[in-house]
Amino acid sequence: MLAAAHDSGAAVALLGGGTDLVPALRSGERVAGVVVALRRVLELRVRGAGADSLTIGAGATYTDLAGWSLSPGLARAARVVGSVQIRNTGTVGGALGSARPAGDLLTFLTAADAEVLTASPRGLDRQPLPRFLADGLAPDALVTAVRLARPGGPQVYLKIGDRQAAYPAVVSCAVLVDRVRHRLTCAIGGVGLLPARMGDAERYARDEVDWSTGTVSPTAARRFGDLVVEAAARITPALPAGPRGSAEYRWHAAGVLAGRAFARCLHVTAPPAGVPGGPAGDSAVGGQP
Amino acid sequence: MTAVAPDGFAAGPTGTGETAGTDGEATGTDGGATGAGGGANGGDGGEAGVGGGETGADGNESYRLNVDGFLRTVNGARLGDSLLTVLRDTLGVTAVKDACEQGRCGACSVLLDGRLAASCTVLAADADGTRVVTVAGLGGAGLARAVRAMFLAEGAVQCGFCTPGFVVAVTDLLTRHPDADEEEIREALAGNICRCTGYGRILAAVRAVQAERSLLRSGDAHSSGQTQRPPDGGPDGG
Ligand SMILES: Cc1cc2nc3c(=O)[nH]c(=O)nc-3n(C[C@H](O)[C@H](O)[C@H](O)COP(=O)(O)OP(=O)(O)OC[C@H]3O[C@@H](n4cnc5c(N)ncnc54)[C@H](O)[C@@H]3O)c2cc1C
Ligand code: FES
Ligand code: FES
Repeated sequence: MLAAAHDSGAAVALLGGGTDLVPALRSGERVAGVVVALRRVLELRVRGAGADSLTIGAGATYTDLAGWSLSPGLARAARVVGSVQIRNTGTVGGALGSARPAGDLLTFLTAADAEVLTASPRGLDRQPLPRFLADGLAPDALVTAVRLARPGGPQVYLKIGDRQAAYPAVVSCAVLVDRVRHRLTCAIGGVGLLPARMGDAERYARDEVDWSTGTVSPTAARRFGDLVVEAAARITPALPAGPRGSAEYRWHAAGVLAGRAFARCLHVTAPPAGVPGGPAGDSAVGGQP
Repeated sequence: MTAVAPDGFAAGPTGTGETAGTDGEATGTDGGATGAGGGANGGDGGEAGVGGGETGADGNESYRLNVDGFLRTVNGARLGDSLLTVLRDTLGVTAVKDACEQGRCGACSVLLDGRLAASCTVLAADADGTRVVTVAGLGGAGLARAVRAMFLAEGAVQCGFCTPGFVVAVTDLLTRHPDADEEEIREALAGNICRCTGYGRILAAVRAVQAERSLLRSGDAHSSGQTQRPPDGGPDGG
């Protein structure tokens, strides 16, 4: 039917919860001749758990995810989205469709090496999140679900920004530890046009962490944060500087959040020599499973 | 109340939940709603709906909304209209307030099948088949009555513009979470903005409702042993 709607030549808009689309239709920012409402497609609301992976239907809301014990990190990221009203309404499919630079779910899923499952008249498809974001969605396709590995260790999600209930984050950070594969992944949102992985910092962590115990030296978090600042400054294309933070501020915030998330994920061997400096009064929220 | 919709997102009393848009004067795109791309759908439950509105100047829609227990027919709304716009401008329901139209202030809060939502972020046509409850439909007794009374008693109403949204949000909170502590109350009300009171009095009103309710509950324990019935049929706790 989506294909039929598309063939009719009208501007087609997929509707999840509407938290982005409906205000945009109202303001005229978006125009749609046909709206395909997905909320009642029950299949899209399914959440499933396989032996190694978790699958989350595109129609799942943040509220649906917020209490999900199988992925405490994801649940935490969902709990710090917007307000009750937004969490009850906004969906996973909408988060992927809107692809905000510091979208909470997008940042978390970027760190989690998530895959995006899509459906179109050509059949079902799945692709890594970065490729999905780079290629964009075909006009006659929709996101049906995302798939990610079951958590293999602590996961921390932190963000910083203005009034959370009203505005998405300025900078967001996800750090995921996989104790089995001796891997730590880190994604930063709000610096580039899309969340980005911090390769150098991840490699540093791989070599620095004592994987038998999950411990790191007291200075490691600082170094990890510094590597993230360096990587953030190299991200292209960069998000244009806006009223909500200069580029330098966002790089700095990325480093602070990453260092903090890193320290929360791992055991520090001895008390740190000095308290790592963070900007006073930041509104970061986070949590550990 | 005619509303007997099952919990959550299943089809409500006004239809089978198959289309979000036109029933009568469809433009040909909504027939049967077989689902986009085949793969995702094909099940029995809900189906994707196309509001097959015309792009022309007045691509009008006709559908029904269950507002505060009454079935209302919506004629002449545009496909892209929000629930807020249709409630106020088409149906004359002024119990929802219109302030930011961006989901940021909560003045337009309603319960949709028992879930708190900002009606300016909801497509009206997509609310066909759900129970829409505004502050006016919360009922004159029980929790909603207590919330209203305490807002007045504690001076939590000044200009009053935010009040309908707050009363809906507070009723929702205390239904789900009667013993919420201060931090939980603040978090739950973060989607509602008040420019007059500074929130202290609103918080005090919520605390006062909790105090009254817990007294009531301990008093009730003898007679019926029943917990307070939520006014809206009870949102789930997920
Ligand atoms: C006040 C407010 C606060 C917010 N706070 C946050 C925040 O803290 N963090 C955050 O990350 N976001 C935030 N958001 C953004 C928004 O809520 C999220 O991006 C949300 O996930 C969008 O989901 P939705 O279902 O409402 O999307 P919709 O508005 O329904 O759709 C958004 C886009 O995705 C497309 N789409 C929808 N479903 C699909 C699908 N299945 N397949 C393909 N495309 C699809 C639509 O066509 C549209 O282009 C906020 C928004 C508001 C209004
Ligand atoms: S008018 Fe809907 S949230 Fe402000
Ligand atoms: S009483 Fe005036 S905005 Fe709240």
